[in-house]
Amino acid sequence: MTGYLVRRLGQALVVLWVMSFVTYGLLALMPGDPVDLMLSGDPNVTTADVARLRALHGLDQPFLERYGNWFMGALQGDFGYSRLFSAPVLDVLGPRLLNSLLLMGLAFLLAVSVALPASIAAARRPGGMADRLINLLCFAGISVPPFWLALLMILLFAVSLGLFPAGGMATVGDGGLGDRAAHLVLPVLTLAVASIAQYTRHGRAAMIEVLREDYIRTARAKGATERTVLWRHGFRNALIPVVTIMALDFGALFSGALIVETMFAYLGMGKTIYDAVMGNDYNLALVGLLLATSVTLAANIAADIAYALIDPRIRLTGRGRA
Amino acid sequence: MSMASLQPAPRRGAFSRLKRNGSATTSMILLACLLLACFGAPLVGAALGTDATSIDLFNISAPPSAAHPLGTDEIGRDLLMRLLDGGRVSLTVGIAAAASATLIGTLIGLSAGYRGGFADAVLMRLADGVISLPLLPLLIVLAAIDPAKTGLPPELVQSEGFSLYRIVAIIALVGWTTTARLVRGAVLSLRERDFIEAARAQGLPPSRILFRHLLPNAASPILVAMTLTIGNVILFESVLSFLGLGIQPPIPSWGNMLTGAQDLISVSPMLAIWPGLLIFAAVIAFNFLGDGLQDALDPRAQNRRG
Amino acid sequence: MRRSARVLTIWLLLFLSALPLARPADAREQLVIGMTQFPTTLNPMIDSMLVKTYVLGMAQRQMTIFGHDWEPICLWCTELPTFENKRAKRFPVLDATGKETGREGVRTTYTIKPGAVWGDGTEITTDDVLFSWEVGRHPETGVADSSSYQEIVDIEVEDERTFTIVLDKIDYRYNTLGDFQLLPAHLERAAFANPREYKNRTLYKTAPGTPGLYNGPYRVTEVNEGAYIVLARNEQWQGKPPAFERIVVKTIEKTAALEANLLSGSIDYIAGEAGLTLDQALGFEKRHGDTFDVIYKPGLIYEHIEFNLDNPVLADIKVRRALLHAIDRKAISDKLFAGNQPVAHGAVNPLDWAYYDKLPTYPYDPSRAKALLDEAGWTEIRNGIRHRPDGTKLSLEIMTTAGNRIRELVEQVLQNYWKQVGIEVTIRNEPARVFFGETVRKRAFPAMAMFAWLSAPEALPKTTLYSSSIPTEANNWSGQNATGYSSPEMDRLIDAIEIELDREKRRELWARQQTLYATDLPVLPLYFRSDAYILPKWLKGLRPTGHKYSSTYWIEQWRDGSSASQ
Repeated sequence: MTGYLVRRLGQALVVLWVMSFVTYGLLALMPGDPVDLMLSGDPNVTTADVARLRALHGLDQPFLERYGNWFMGALQGDFGYSRLFSAPVLDVLGPRLLNSLLLMGLAFLLAVSVALPASIAAARRPGGMADRLINLLCFAGISVPPFWLALLMILLFAVSLGLFPAGGMATVGDGGLGDRAAHLVLPVLTLAVASIAQYTRHGRAAMIEVLREDYIRTARAKGATERTVLWRHGFRNALIPVVTIMALDFGALFSGALIVETMFAYLGMGKTIYDAVMGNDYNLALVGLLLATSVTLAANIAADIAYALIDPRIRLTGRGRA
Repeated sequence: MSMASLQPAPRRGAFSRLKRNGSATTSMILLACLLLACFGAPLVGAALGTDATSIDLFNISAPPSAAHPLGTDEIGRDLLMRLLDGGRVSLTVGIAAAASATLIGTLIGLSAGYRGGFADAVLMRLADGVISLPLLPLLIVLAAIDPAKTGLPPELVQSEGFSLYRIVAIIALVGWTTTARLVRGAVLSLRERDFIEAARAQGLPPSRILFRHLLPNAASPILVAMTLTIGNVILFESVLSFLGLGIQPPIPSWGNMLTGAQDLISVSPMLAIWPGLLIFAAVIAFNFLGDGLQDALDPRAQNRRG
Repeated sequence: MRRSARVLTIWLLLFLSALPLARPADAREQLVIGMTQFPTTLNPMIDSMLVKTYVLGMAQRQMTIFGHDWEPICLWCTELPTFENKRAKRFPVLDATGKETGREGVRTTYTIKPGAVWGDGTEITTDDVLFSWEVGRHPETGVADSSSYQEIVDIEVEDERTFTIVLDKIDYRYNTLGDFQLLPAHLERAAFANPREYKNRTLYKTAPGTPGLYNGPYRVTEVNEGAYIVLARNEQWQGKPPAFERIVVKTIEKTAALEANLLSGSIDYIAGEAGLTLDQALGFEKRHGDTFDVIYKPGLIYEHIEFNLDNPVLADIKVRRALLHAIDRKAISDKLFAGNQPVAHGAVNPLDWAYYDKLPTYPYDPSRAKALLDEAGWTEIRNGIRHRPDGTKLSLEIMTTAGNRIRELVEQVLQNYWKQVGIEVTIRNEPARVFFGETVRKRAFPAMAMFAWLSAPEALPKTTLYSSSIPTEANNWSGQNATGYSSPEMDRLIDAIEIELDREKRRELWARQQTLYATDLPVLPLYFRSDAYILPKWLKGLRPTGHKYSSTYWIEQWRDGSSASQ
């Protein structure tokens, strides 16, 4: 197990290093540079100003040299300054990463706790009323444009009903727990919709597979209650493919978060990366992308561990044949 | 249905199974209607006596009327015609991008599955890597780079349709993973089967074995993956448009129409509701169809339903 | 099934329990302003940005600005220097050897108002002025537009509160300090020890809540990067006390979400300076005109289309005039913007005193446009598009910033108008950073580029119309005369305006300059953009200015009109 983990961590580091180089190269292909942006629309900036600012931002050096400088700095823990925020990138990204993780974590929890019961309900009688309804909802969930959903949520719950705030992190001057929670409701709901649909579909499929297995028939024959059959035997074994999907879906969750953060003015990573790319803030974009990648890689490793912990075949041989 | 000739017996059963699937049939009819309407837009325009680009400043955001069945948009263009034109673009992009992604995925899947060993390991690690990355932020970087700096010819970069090619290319670049895995899986299970062994024993060249024998038998997962991908691409185009990186006006697409209309949601909600609904309908239809195809083509589905 | 239902119920309950508890007790104690952008820094010198000026208008004021009537006014000085009040004096400029160069310079003397203090009680002195000059003119500080500082040859200090600015040239703008920003020397000097790092070390960035950084009626107390800025009353403020205890400036980028926030009550007011687009505001007014007031204010944002005069088709003045006659700008303004964006006939805004109202104009007249095109040799019409007899097609390309919805719409409307007189126009848009950074700067647009200039009152078009301001590879793309317009007469008039100190004589010169501009048509004027301010009915006293010194410079006048006490 330890050897395996070390190997996975090593692989992750290699992926990160490759990512850093590729992304740095892509960022060098960005149109214009940060200084060009300052020019737009201001008739007073002169070429001398441009040359001065460009040298100031180190933009007059060749690509490999810039990457080399950045990489050596990064190894020593210096990731540089964000141009947009005039602050060290980690200071900018740290709190935002936490915000994003909170948003994604809650959406994930919500998705799991809705999707698992729903998938079991659907798998109990494939083709039945409940199954069809759940199936329809799932398809709707993965087919709705996310920003459109967010807008509808705002219009319905914030403007028409006035139940939840339309956006932001907290009411200025309040910032209590209840207030923060209220601000999280709509973003979390919006973000969770696609995941709920995704998990439910896979959960349902896995449950149907499992429920056809012999040991379920055996359990039923032994007179176990339906609930025991479904939850203890079925659910546990259906969990593995679902966990795999969840791990793979983590990257998608990040993507969804970007949209949700933009719509709800929520200060998260996705939005920051987007702003950094659009604002030619190379350092911020690069480190942001690397952090996002690390998080997804970590989630994948975590899923692997979970996978090993609940491996069905081990349990199966232990219990089913007894 | 050209697939039917490849492997007659099970396919016919598959088609009748598909027909029995209510939601898949409905989806198919819906999609056929959408495609027909969008690609027949000039005929519709001729019948109504209007087109998607005529501007009438004196008839802005008008309610539905005989001349404009869905009303007009914020600069007085016919909304129905715009939706049909936008649909043609969105559906074309969806199909083209899905087809390219599937093509790449199939080639990678075939070679990984057939070769096995090191090539397989590398390709599949690559697929795993691409799947597990936070894709949207990466795609933003890809979509935001300056095409002129990548050495593409300026005539291409400056053509009006460049944003279309760009989105197709980007999706093809990252969308191949699902197909690749499916195809690889199919090839792995087929590789050791008798008829492949026989073909190999006859000394047929690998390319012939791959394309004549393996590919047709892996056709069903490819078809399913492609159908599902089309829906995803349409959805994805709308998301990129929302971020300002999708298809650029004046070319209409459902995604950029929806994005443009959300600013005016409280004034003319229908401008946003229609493209939103059409995206939703098209995507859900492609998903249902893909799902239905999967059930119909998957032999195990029979047991499941029975 | 029952179990899953129970789990679902629990979740539902959990979410309902998270309902908002209560809004802040008395909303009128504070004013929450919504905007679409967040300032990258609060340091007055670094990165010129509209939203920063907006916030600093409440908290950090400079020596001179422009008022509502677009005339310069003193904020921290006692009076503006003039030759009459002896605060301005000419002097002959000497060269290094002490000989007269024949040019004249000017010395202007300013006195800082008594009672001018920073938020920590420290007096504003000439020390601050000197320090600000040092920071502003330093090449490594990262000041975007350093001309206001670099033009100053010397600052002579007379006492704690009086100083004299020495300029080695004299022009009509001699009696304002332009963009000269004041910094608190006692707090910022330490951060400036390493000029290269100044933009990151400045207290405005590292500790923006420091009271001594501000001198306005409010001071910034809290900055939540990207989300909001809180301002509280500045206890040291000696002027008229402002009405609200607190001001919160909230950033919500998506205008649809911004509007929703206004309707749901989480913001009170949407600032016109960076708020809704005009068509959104018009729609909003239609639906919510009973609960909100909407003020439209046309400003100094001049939307226009620059021609590339090197394009042989556009080099012909007849074609340029035909292009203008072919479009109904009045209808665009009336129908798309409900008449709130006045049609521009030149680059000078009618609200500016220098505006000349007898300019040659180009009303919508398709037949005149067609006649002009015929005269220019575009006589043959094939498939609805004009050709020269030699087969050349009359096809032009228009470019603008992608993602600017209004510009993209206007572009398509214009395209349609031009099609009706037989001109084919294709559209190709680019993201703002490519468009401005490469295309416009290097004159790489083949025919037409649509964008806006943001100018100050009576701004001299030296960088945009002067013949030596044409960007070329040879001059390292310096200058912003992207059209390539070159007219000795225009150069002469610009030079004459610059050094003419007498206003009436200058008015005369401006009239000739504007007439020449409208006759030669190096650019196609469209309209002056308007900002839409969306106020709750109870918010009174807010007056938009129309120029870059935003309404917040008069925030002391804002009040809650519904409460009896005011």
